[in-house]
Amino acid sequence: MTFAACALAVARKDLLTEWRSREVLPALAQFVLLALVVTLFAFDLDAASAARIAPGVLWLVVLFAGLVAFGRAFAAEKVQASLEALLLTPAGPVAIFAGKALAAAAVLLACEAVLVPGIGVFLGVGLPPLAVAAVLLSTAGMAALGCLFSALAVQTRARELLLPVLALPIWIPFVVYGAAALTGRAPQALANLLALDILVVVVAGLAARFVLDD
Amino acid sequence: MKPAIEARGLTQRFGRQLVLLDIDLQVAAGERVALLGDNGAGKTTLLRLLATVARPAAGELRLLGLDAVRQRSALRSRLGWLAHEPGLYPALSARENLEFFCTLHGLPRGRAVECLEQLGLTDDALRPAAELSRGRRQRLALARTLLHDPELWLLDEPDSSLDAAGRDLLGRLVSGRTLVFATHDRGLADELDARVVELRAGRVLDRGALQVVR
Repeated sequence: MTFAACALAVARKDLLTEWRSREVLPALAQFVLLALVVTLFAFDLDAASAARIAPGVLWLVVLFAGLVAFGRAFAAEKVQASLEALLLTPAGPVAIFAGKALAAAAVLLACEAVLVPGIGVFLGVGLPPLAVAAVLLSTAGMAALGCLFSALAVQTRARELLLPVLALPIWIPFVVYGAAALTGRAPQALANLLALDILVVVVAGLAARFVLDD
Repeated sequence: MKPAIEARGLTQRFGRQLVLLDIDLQVAAGERVALLGDNGAGKTTLLRLLATVARPAAGELRLLGLDAVRQRSALRSRLGWLAHEPGLYPALSARENLEFFCTLHGLPRGRAVECLEQLGLTDDALRPAAELSRGRRQRLALARTLLHDPELWLLDEPDSSLDAAGRDLLGRLVSGRTLVFATHDRGLADELDARVVELRAGRVLDRGALQVVR
């Protein structure tokens, strides 16, 4: 069984489970819309100020939606007591980790598909294609790190608390480069995000074996 | 012929609490062993060590001729582990649950149908695991353990929630296999023609006919 086939099987299983149970996606979509509505009422917005705060709103919502999406990745396996059965297959912990990160990234992408047009509708700010590319690149790296910390946090009692404490500081570079992509330095920011993605995917892949297996 | 299990001085701690102390156990290939004992005697902890889902604090453990700590990856697909909780995916049907594990084991999907039939679950194949009774879920978890035809079976209270027909089925399923299982029911040990190893407060008691006394 190849690494890719195992990872895809795990991702497919997680997405099928989410599609049928609808535990996370509707709640996250609702969160995205509510965050935009609250922004609309919390700030005295005109066209210029809306354009200035839009990047901040975008990244705040992506970060907090990411915490929910990635936090569920391993929590569900823990609740169902199915993680041990998974780890006893020849698939290997890294393939299982990759599959779960893929599925969680897909859930976050679905939220972003609501968020990006939502910013246009609620704040009247259209995001340029390069900014959307920055969001997509950030999602990949955030998924790798978020799922790694989710696997770590799920083994502790205070997992809901531990994940934000671990993940948010490490996600800051994605916000820095992502925000830069929205403020006119897009090509360099995208290159930095790509490099960061490669680094965190490799590191998370190497660490996943130890986190899941020990 | 090498024994299927050779454990010497197995010790396990949870923090400062000693839950297993200096356990010696030898199980021959084809032998069935029942771990008996009160709640908290250490049955599940010992089974988890044998299933390689936990590491011993001290001692040596060889399974199927391999070191259970250093050669864990090579061992895992040769073990059949059924935890106390069935560990199924509630949103997936019985067949989908097994097909998912077939993929991870590199087995054809048809094997899932064979195992469902063997456990008398053909009529439940398309029902979500969440809708199955506790006894049917236990049968499904046994079917998952059977999928890859493991050389060494490690079952934690396998008769949990099984009716009389289910217990008969369990007997036929493990006939001729190397099996270690935890139970509170001495009758099950007799039914499965198993050698009894009694644990008390993390130690193996001398039961006369046992090969292992300490």
